[in-house]
Amino acid sequence: MIDEITAVWITYNLTERTIEHLWIFSIALIAAIVAGVAIGLFIYRRRRYASPVFSSLNAVETFPDIALLVLLIPLAGIGTVPTIIACVLYSILPIARNTYTGLIFVSPDLLEVGRAMGLSERFILLKVRFPLAFPMIAGGIRIAIVFTMGIVTLGGIFGAGGLGAPLQTGINLIRPDIIFVAGIWVGILAVILDGIAGGIEASLKRRFGSW
Amino acid sequence: MTLKRPFDRIETIDIHGVRKRFGETVAVDGISLDIRGGELLILIGGSGSGKTTTLRMINRLIDPDEGTIAINGIDTQTIDGIVLRKNIGYVIQQIGLFPHMTIRENIGLLPTIEGWSREEIDSRVAELLILVHLPPDQFMDRYPKELSGGQQQRVGLARALVMNPPLLLMDEPFGALDPLLRRQLQDEFIGIKEDIGKTIVFVTHDINEAFRLGDRIAIMHEGQIVQLGTPRDLILNPADKMVSDLVGSDRLFGHIASLTVSDMMVPASPIISGEMEVQSAIGVMVQSGSKIAVVRNRASSFSVLLLSTLLQMRDEVKTVLEATDPPFFLSMDASLLSALEEMKAASVSLGLVMKDGEPAGLLLPDDLITRLV
Amino acid sequence: MVSGLLLTPILQHIVLAYTALFVSIALGIPLAILALYSRPLQKIVMTLANLMQAVPTLAVVAIVVPLIGIGFWPAIVAIILRALLPIIKNTWIGLSSVDPVLIASAEGIGLSEWEIIRYVRLPNAYPAIFAGVKFAAILANSVAILTAMIGSGGLGSLVFEGLAGVNMMKMLSGALPAIGIALFLDASFSWMERRLLPRSGQSGLE
Repeated sequence: MIDEITAVWITYNLTERTIEHLWIFSIALIAAIVAGVAIGLFIYRRRRYASPVFSSLNAVETFPDIALLVLLIPLAGIGTVPTIIACVLYSILPIARNTYTGLIFVSPDLLEVGRAMGLSERFILLKVRFPLAFPMIAGGIRIAIVFTMGIVTLGGIFGAGGLGAPLQTGINLIRPDIIFVAGIWVGILAVILDGIAGGIEASLKRRFGSW
Repeated sequence: MTLKRPFDRIETIDIHGVRKRFGETVAVDGISLDIRGGELLILIGGSGSGKTTTLRMINRLIDPDEGTIAINGIDTQTIDGIVLRKNIGYVIQQIGLFPHMTIRENIGLLPTIEGWSREEIDSRVAELLILVHLPPDQFMDRYPKELSGGQQQRVGLARALVMNPPLLLMDEPFGALDPLLRRQLQDEFIGIKEDIGKTIVFVTHDINEAFRLGDRIAIMHEGQIVQLGTPRDLILNPADKMVSDLVGSDRLFGHIASLTVSDMMVPASPIISGEMEVQSAIGVMVQSGSKIAVVRNRASSFSVLLLSTLLQMRDEVKTVLEATDPPFFLSMDASLLSALEEMKAASVSLGLVMKDGEPAGLLLPDDLITRLV
Repeated sequence: MVSGLLLTPILQHIVLAYTALFVSIALGIPLAILALYSRPLQKIVMTLANLMQAVPTLAVVAIVVPLIGIGFWPAIVAIILRALLPIIKNTWIGLSSVDPVLIASAEGIGLSEWEIIRYVRLPNAYPAIFAGVKFAAILANSVAILTAMIGSGGLGSLVFEGLAGVNMMKMLSGALPAIGIALFLDASFSWMERRLLPRSGQSGLE
């Protein structure tokens, strides 16, 4: 059993595939966090854009992931770049929505006291609203992590490499050993990342959550 | 760095013809009110009476539609809102401590923004925590949710005092606490109030709280001030039925009418000789814990001596006699009510009760009102 | 005509996705109700649901192959493995988040366990269940394309044939109808939500 796993691991370069996978995942997630928080903040400042932006992001969210990757071919070809774009497109919504909600739903008492203390709107946004929104934003990022992990894996079919590639090989060749090793490994990775994100979210809730 | 101060102390707050409506409802309907520097003014009324709106217009959380509010003669509209609010402490029932900041960070927030050093902030925070009876080393680094409601409200008060604002606005600060704790915090607050010597505007709906804390009380109803006066004024001369119901004049009057002076007088002690040396008289009074002494003159006549007067005049007089005031005599079996009326007419705040040519007690109307309440 | 050529894969796709969806609903809601009465079951179901939700779809689809092979039924199983989770999770949240006072008063007026579920818990859970089913339907639509890799047929076959032959038109002829179905689903669920759940402003958990 151990020998079989080792054989598959070495033959299909799973160490490199894993590094490649996590690399694409990290870039996509960081891009999604930057874009999502920025859009959430933008909508918070310009409320009238909330409805159109969220409905468009919602629509993208319903697209089957493979269909979205197909649509990206004319724009970005196949491989890593369209995979990252697709990850970001799916992950912006949960992050932006949670950022926006977190910024908006701050206890009115805190805002009143903040104003009465003579704090500026900018200070309240950066030092009160944002920190208090951290648990919400982390919740959005956790959802985005699951989305991103799924799509990076799928990107393997579209030439992006990562752990999706050996899975595709396994399916095409109907090779249970490859499928089990790569499939279970990517599953474990995903569960671990989700668990870490959940832990971070919970600790942020303890630290920044309202009482 | 020092905070920009539009006023260092409050001489007057002049609220003039102020009106505020929210949509269809008139919240404050043309009120005028002079707040004196150093007093604790209570705004009392039911919900919708406009008391909180009035309070929030003083620090310009709300701007009035009509009328002016001037602090020391300066229209607050000409003062930058942020500068104004940094110089006015604000405490609300919901407290509003920032949950993501420690007690130190909550109290030290404005000093941090103002660029104080870490040591200055820490010592100021510690000083304030001691003032509100929270041991600094136990509380500095805790988060608000680790504190009880009463402790949180103490921190809220400390935070409001951090920049040493000459004016403090308080909106039902003890309203969410259970009655026992509320009473305890009120008592502590009376002590703190004397220490800090600030002008305070205090909103409440609890008449007992108003009587306990207020120098003057403004009773509000439907956006207007129905009556403004000391607790004594309100009880003895209620402007209308609403006020007398609120302050319970009927209940008190019913009770008061049957009382005589002897029922409510306090013991006249110490009795000292008019030739006593100033220093030893002060010693005697401080030791007996009494702020008023009765002075026996040579011709078995009497006068009264206030410790505060004595302290003021200690360097100018040789014997206590020179610092005394002529007494307002009352007899023991006189009706309490008529005695109070007479004292009010003569505008004296201290009566000496005599029996068989000897002092039997003192009648202190202000003290009496609070005792009755 | 293109539409004639497309009709078979579209129908295959719909049969695939919605057979799986209905089985998921039929399994998920009773499982969630059972979880209310058995703590061990609740723990197992919720833990599995949470863990499984993190696993990439491609891994789920792949692992089905060595376990039950390829073709239509293995594809159905793969889709169910995805669609079941949001339904169980949302139903359970909806059923268990009823104000305990309501349950106590329902017991007080003598309702049986089943009647409490029927008249108190389920009505409370409708918005959440609805949101779960909506999410599951959109997931099923998405996974049903991927399952073409394991021989399910349908719109996914067009995409993968196009990908292999570098035929953009063919890929689009698979992808665009799937997007169309997704948007149609989303719109009709929103419409039903407004009609069936008149408690305005109270949208379900997603």
